[in-house]
Amino acid sequence: MTTVNLPRHVLASVEKPARYTGGEWNSVTKIVPDVAEQALRPFLRFAFCFPDTYEIGMSNLALRIIYHMLNEREDVWCERAFAPWVDMAATLRAEQIPLFSQESRTPLREFDLLGFTLQYELAFTSVLDMLDLGNVPLLTCDRTLDDPFVMAGGPVVYNIEPMAAVFDLVVIGEGEEVLQEITDVWLNWKKGGPSRTREQFLLAVAQLEGVYVPSFYDVAYQSDGTIATITPNRPGVPATIKKRIILDLDQAYFPTDSIVPNTEIVHDRIFLELFRGCTRGCRFCQAGIVYRPVREKSPEKLLGQALELEKTTGYDEVGMLSLSTSDYSKLSELTDSLLCELTPNHTSLSLPSLRLDNFSLELMQKASSTRKGGLTFAPEAGTQRLRDVVNKNITEENLLTAMELALRGGWSGAKLYFMLGLPTETMEDVDGIAKLARAIEDRYNKLPRFERPRRLELAISTAMFIPKPFTPFQWCAQADLDTMRSHQSHLRDQLRMTRSVKYKWHEPKISYLEGVLARGDRRLGAVILAAFHGGARFDAWDDQFKYDLWMQCIADAGLDPNFYARRERTRDEVFPWSHIDCGVTTDFLWTEYQQAMQAATTPECREQCSACGAQCFGGGVCFE
Amino acid sequence: MNDEQVAQLEQAAPPEQAVQANTANPGNTPLAYYEIRLRFARREPAIWLAHLDMMRTFERAIRRAKLPVHWSQGFNPRPQMTFALPIGVGLATEDDYVDIQLIEPVAPDLMIKKLNDNLPIGFEILAGAPILPSKISLMSLVQAADYRLSIAGLAAAWRRIPVAQPLIVEKFSKGRTLQVEIRALILDVRLMSESEIVIRVKAGSSANLRPDLFLDALVVYGGLDAIAAADCAITRLSLLIHSTIDPSGYASPLRLPQ
Repeated sequence: MTTVNLPRHVLASVEKPARYTGGEWNSVTKIVPDVAEQALRPFLRFAFCFPDTYEIGMSNLALRIIYHMLNEREDVWCERAFAPWVDMAATLRAEQIPLFSQESRTPLREFDLLGFTLQYELAFTSVLDMLDLGNVPLLTCDRTLDDPFVMAGGPVVYNIEPMAAVFDLVVIGEGEEVLQEITDVWLNWKKGGPSRTREQFLLAVAQLEGVYVPSFYDVAYQSDGTIATITPNRPGVPATIKKRIILDLDQAYFPTDSIVPNTEIVHDRIFLELFRGCTRGCRFCQAGIVYRPVREKSPEKLLGQALELEKTTGYDEVGMLSLSTSDYSKLSELTDSLLCELTPNHTSLSLPSLRLDNFSLELMQKASSTRKGGLTFAPEAGTQRLRDVVNKNITEENLLTAMELALRGGWSGAKLYFMLGLPTETMEDVDGIAKLARAIEDRYNKLPRFERPRRLELAISTAMFIPKPFTPFQWCAQADLDTMRSHQSHLRDQLRMTRSVKYKWHEPKISYLEGVLARGDRRLGAVILAAFHGGARFDAWDDQFKYDLWMQCIADAGLDPNFYARRERTRDEVFPWSHIDCGVTTDFLWTEYQQAMQAATTPECREQCSACGAQCFGGGVCFE
Repeated sequence: MNDEQVAQLEQAAPPEQAVQANTANPGNTPLAYYEIRLRFARREPAIWLAHLDMMRTFERAIRRAKLPVHWSQGFNPRPQMTFALPIGVGLATEDDYVDIQLIEPVAPDLMIKKLNDNLPIGFEILAGAPILPSKISLMSLVQAADYRLSIAGLAAAWRRIPVAQPLIVEKFSKGRTLQVEIRALILDVRLMSESEIVIRVKAGSSANLRPDLFLDALVVYGGLDAIAAADCAITRLSLLIHSTIDPSGYASPLRLPQ
């Protein structure tokens, strides 16, 4: 076992060295049993790897849960590793220092299992950077018994095909149970001694529900470049891999001794997970489909977890983390009890991502009674027609009423999120965004002076729509770069006249690449490798993104980016992710797509079941 | 300290000094609070925290320790706490100070124990004593600091610099590069060995020398290797306030009861 030595000048030369030095409150260190002891009782060294910066990684709930859950076991030590920022990565390479874990500064290669969580496709090159810096062979076919197994989980793995050659195994769905099972399989496999093979371990985990071993599947293509078949190439390997979920979240593991970072992170507060899934069914939203069905935690459980976490972390703020927090069925009860218990301790409560249609002054005042945070609303589209297309079931009146309540309640404005480039979008829809902003201004102007803030401040930001697997828009073509740009600059011009608005937008080129990777197949693997070798990493960061390099690498591989991003698919096309089963059926998604094209809406789960297929899991909102 | 001793401390009467609470709050209901001054050390890996990070870390430790701190008013209440002198990223200290206001007296030993049980690795509270709440902040009292620098070649580099040589180095401040003369800020240089120097420099809000600028001077005027300078371990050994009693003119901000 090696410990990486980090000379002072390395840490002194990089931005935010506290990202790399560990020692945080509640982080876990263990004594690794010696070789003789491990021969009797195997001991798993697991590194939870996050392919982005420390501040983003430490804000990830999966990391928090899995880290503490695995460390409850005596036969496992789970440590953490993050992508070093470009300055640190350059220094590590120059000084030939391998990438190391946060807890024990052990080089990544000395771990048994590296578990990456993938939150966005643009993190692919940072995965490769971490492996490369950690001296781990990049491809599964090059790894030996001395190398770790490289595993992936998280929302992106619903189509992991572009990285199929990199990951030895992939966990589809929620990890709490299946990671325990994988651990047990590994400990058992390790007893096999030097004659054991990597294949034996992979065959054993491939039997577990929710585990996908990409190398056990062959993909055949048709002459037009689409996929003909995806078939297992080993006996006993399932033809489709069904996602794993935890049915009873009250019984599921949740850490009450979470790590408190030494340096500020993005979500620097206690996280409460109110529920998983979302009942709304917005047609662009992958999370809204793949996390189905909705499963809630009880308010009693959440209150208990909040109070325990407050004691063990010393945080002064509790945040609620869920897809659409205000849809929690017992939100009022929960916020009342939280505020009652937290306020005397000078702890505040923050409520993110409020929906416009059930937004209440009461809830807002609760959130503001301790500290006034910003308000964020996501109308997503500028006209009712387009909001109906994407099934965002809110009206202009919902937005105006909510804004009026907010302004009367003392807020000076809100952040408003929209998408550009949505299917069927026209300039009229783009104008609709500016019209909404002006309608809010009008409401503001009509309010009596003493009932409104001195100034109105609206922050409008637009992201480019990216069709994602397992959404009704998985068949859609993404808007082309010229359309994205013209819609964006048109909106910018329209908003110039609206004094209260600050407009921010995402770089369309980044969204275009994300669109290519999101619905990519295994042939993009070579492209990602080439882009990495050409210097691509942190592609989601505007200042790091190298568009021309990516386009060159795609062309060099003889591929067409528009084949992936800009092509309208037919109903019966075999997708790169067709062997993955998230519970929601293709029939449902296709029906939703057809409904979208007619601007017809679908009610949310609690109003009426639309038979999406998620009932097959036997729990959650489907059985309420 | 075992649990029994802690329990004894909990019951022990607070030191006499602390009982004199501050009632100087003109015009309003008298707001009584007590203040305690703590001496602390920070060592690896905590030396890499920025000052703001360190403040947050102390705040959270205070909350975990459930100490009866005096909270600031307003939308964003914070424990009332003042550090003597911010310490740069990468610098260790064996003698730093923080004043913490309390709404009820806590015996210093108990406070030290509770904080040490709740601070992350690298921080240690070394001593503490009640102080009289004062309008003069600890920060404005600080006059000087001693730093120990350790890396091969230090002493030789210092000896190479002529005594009359002005030491002009570049200082990055608020996005600008300034030329500053630092010899005027150096009070004393002691060569402990070939690889260890202890310097006494002006410190505080009126005049302050960051020890890394002293190292820059050794690089520029004494030929110290730049990488060596970057690898040099720096520890603040003492933080000093003005003294009329001590012959050196300086004293520790914390006078412990005999």
